[in-house]
Amino acid sequence: MKVIRSFLKIFTVMVFLFLYSPIIAMVIFSFNESKSLAVFTNFSLKWYEKVIANPEVWRALYNSFWVGAVVTIISLILGLMMAMAVTRYSFTGKTILESFILIPIIIPEIAEALSLMMMYIFLNIPLGPVTVIIGHIAFDISFVTVVMRARMVGYDKSIEEAARTLGANELQTFFRITLPTLYPAILAAGLLAFTLSFDDLIKTLFTTGPGFKTLPLVIWSYAARGGVSPELNSLSSFALSISFLFAIFRLRAERRMGR
Amino acid sequence: MGLMDVLLKYVRKNVSVKVALLLTPPLIFLAVWFYAPFLIVGLYSFDMINIYREITFTPSLVHYSRVLSWTGASGIFLRSLYFAGINVLLCLLLGYPVAYYISFKVKKYKDVYIILFIIPFWVSFLIRTYAMMGLLDERSFFNTILLSLAIIDSPIKIMYTDVAVILVMVYNYLVMMVLPLYANLEKLDKTLLEAASTLGAGPVRTFLKVTLPLSMPGIMAGFLLVFIPSVGEFVIPELVGGPSNYMVGNIIYEIFMGARHWWVGSALSMLFIAFILSLVIIYIRGVGERGLAI
Amino acid sequence: MVNRRDVFKVAAAGVLGLAIGGVGGYISRQGEMESLKKEVVELSKQLGVAAPKLEPNLNIYNWTYYINRNIVDWWAKENGVQIVYDTFESVDEVVAKLQTGTSGYDLAVVSDSPLQELANLGVLEPIDLKKIPNFKYVPDRFKNPRYDPGNKYSVIYSYGTTGLGWNNEEVSPEVTAWADVFEVDRHLGKYKGKITMHTDSVETYGAALIYLGRDPNSTKDEDLREAIELLKKQKPYLAGYASTEEYMAGLEAGRFLISHAYNGDIAGLMYASDEREITISKKLEHISYTVPKEGALAWADNFVIPKGAKNIEAAHAFINFILDPIVSAICTITVKYPFPAGRDYVPEEIRSDPVIFTPEELLGKLYWARPLTPEERAKRAEYWLELMAA
Repeated sequence: MKVIRSFLKIFTVMVFLFLYSPIIAMVIFSFNESKSLAVFTNFSLKWYEKVIANPEVWRALYNSFWVGAVVTIISLILGLMMAMAVTRYSFTGKTILESFILIPIIIPEIAEALSLMMMYIFLNIPLGPVTVIIGHIAFDISFVTVVMRARMVGYDKSIEEAARTLGANELQTFFRITLPTLYPAILAAGLLAFTLSFDDLIKTLFTTGPGFKTLPLVIWSYAARGGVSPELNSLSSFALSISFLFAIFRLRAERRMGR
Repeated sequence: MGLMDVLLKYVRKNVSVKVALLLTPPLIFLAVWFYAPFLIVGLYSFDMINIYREITFTPSLVHYSRVLSWTGASGIFLRSLYFAGINVLLCLLLGYPVAYYISFKVKKYKDVYIILFIIPFWVSFLIRTYAMMGLLDERSFFNTILLSLAIIDSPIKIMYTDVAVILVMVYNYLVMMVLPLYANLEKLDKTLLEAASTLGAGPVRTFLKVTLPLSMPGIMAGFLLVFIPSVGEFVIPELVGGPSNYMVGNIIYEIFMGARHWWVGSALSMLFIAFILSLVIIYIRGVGERGLAI
Repeated sequence: MVNRRDVFKVAAAGVLGLAIGGVGGYISRQGEMESLKKEVVELSKQLGVAAPKLEPNLNIYNWTYYINRNIVDWWAKENGVQIVYDTFESVDEVVAKLQTGTSGYDLAVVSDSPLQELANLGVLEPIDLKKIPNFKYVPDRFKNPRYDPGNKYSVIYSYGTTGLGWNNEEVSPEVTAWADVFEVDRHLGKYKGKITMHTDSVETYGAALIYLGRDPNSTKDEDLREAIELLKKQKPYLAGYASTEEYMAGLEAGRFLISHAYNGDIAGLMYASDEREITISKKLEHISYTVPKEGALAWADNFVIPKGAKNIEAAHAFINFILDPIVSAICTITVKYPFPAGRDYVPEEIRSDPVIFTPEELLGKLYWARPLTPEERAKRAEYWLELMAA
């Protein structure tokens, strides 16, 4: 019994090491003065200075944020409509509809991205931020719907009915009662939608136009072309800190909502 | 005002109108920007769009027969399945003990363990992959340490090999296996295990006869979450593999971008999607609808 | 009035003389580019290089590390043009974008055979040579090329060969032929795991077919079969199929000893080139480049204006600017690829470097890629992917 226990413990520690060591190494070497990836010579911020002085990075970060925001808002609206229809009403063809919603989650993104690119080209639609946003929404709707549906099960409709008997019309009920009660679901789905858009690489790669880059595209172009480098270590560590901020924000929000 | 009231009254009375109003905008969006593009892919695959992007009404299966008769393609499909299969297996072998340990052996601070486990997965997929590239690189400190300890006498070359692709896949997908497993093990009725041991079953027997069968739903959920996306993987082989480690996604990309043969590329794409969807359908048939509701 | 060519001669001597005149450390210093820029400013004011008022946005798509970026920035500022300068690393990327006809770029650089392919698809705007007076500085042999008769759609950018870059300290005997990288009892076996072939299938097919004594553009089944079997046998001995950034880093670090590479990339490595700096002395003496004796593929890159370009006027003005002999010379000494219009103004060391300027006597050994139809490309791709799957 003891043997099994300590084996499991050591095993778990090893797996944790496996998970953490690449990331920690990347962060440590981003502070390395020399270009070496093997020996840490001296603490230095020079690679960060390089990254921070690079306008391309800031522009990409800015693009990622605003694209993410627009994508989140639109997918939330569309996803909320879909989730409400699916959870509140029963109608014929619901099962078909549900698989219709799930397919965008299942299909490999590379096939999806190429197909969208082909359609843009077929219809002569010039590529740029708008085509990127459309592409992100096209997969985000499904994720939003699934997350919302999961959280809306067991939603108590009696409060809405009470509001309506008290004379509130549909719109009033929706904005005063429905939306506030659904707030945790909307928050969870919104944060997921934003993260998916913010981190998306493949769809953006195929649907973007001249000069329009998001942060993953910048990282990708450096990583695919030059492999590992100290500049990219610091850029990635920088991006990592943004992801962590999001995650902490998300965790806190969910905690608060959970109560 | 008057018109609004009439409309509201009408909508209030008709559930189907309500449903239609709610469903129309998102469905139109999905139809136009998700499904219609696949219609274009379909048209290309049946040779119904020509080089000048005009639709022609002379469907043909020539591109499908080309893909199907081509020996290289089947090798790459098999490799994708093989990579995804090894990935699932390794995720299970690494993930099960971790989920089991946290669920059964940790008394206090279970949440802390789980959060510690999830933290690396807060980092975006691309950066996690890049971080692994740093470790796998020939010039990395990892190789240097092994060299200086004389464990190896020349740097291990992992980058641009099958091993690199699989390792990075495991690194990225492990969470997808552990979380459903953990959720499943947590829900397990622990009195059953106690019953088994009071009845004299040893720990190994208890595990094999009770815990493992009961955790099958968790394993199956993890299987789906790891297997399906890893069959369609594109970024990992592109970054840490070379052309010799290509998977189906990379080949589709290569045919579209390199050979610029949209027709064969489309046929391959359609077959690939059909392949993935049939895997999911087989899974649902086998495990039941529950399998999808994670 | 001062003759334009004379001014250039003087200026070139002034600017470049500084660079070659043995003022050693001066070149690497930051101030160098600044003074060079000032010279160019002065020069262009006299000559009126700056075109009349241009539309404010110009989107350019070019290979990575293929121009002097400071000069681009300077031109943009001088003309009040906002330049979006995007780069690609493979022919596939640029052709994939341009064939859409909606790429959004106003100017791109494309090599000879894909250029024909794009012209046939009708996705290029015609070039108006009247708007490019500096075209007269392009030597005659780069005008009216066989892949674009009458320069209807293109103007020469740069040119070169694809051969073998290698480490002359570690590798012996010296690399002379494709046989060295295809025969196991030669370098291929001796330097197992240290040799790379090119990722672009056109290049690697070309090398194999030339070695086999076949037409490098062949699409015959028996030729392709034989080439692929050869490449399949070679594959276990290779470090991989590498693109520019990969083989440059690998050769520099000594991880690769022989790489199938573009001449200018190897030259750039020798001189430690940078897009924003001028380097004139060789830094890495241990890197060599050889055009194999069996022959090699040659290529020429060209400016094209993609269909749907919104700022055709500025695109022409930019081409004209780059064709300015002094600007071409600056680009040549920056990136170590030859810009034909600037040849006479490039310092002697660079001009006489056979890696950068392909010597005339080699021309007879060079082959050109011809444009392939989608069917032909698909056929080649199927064999190629068989190699990849092997």
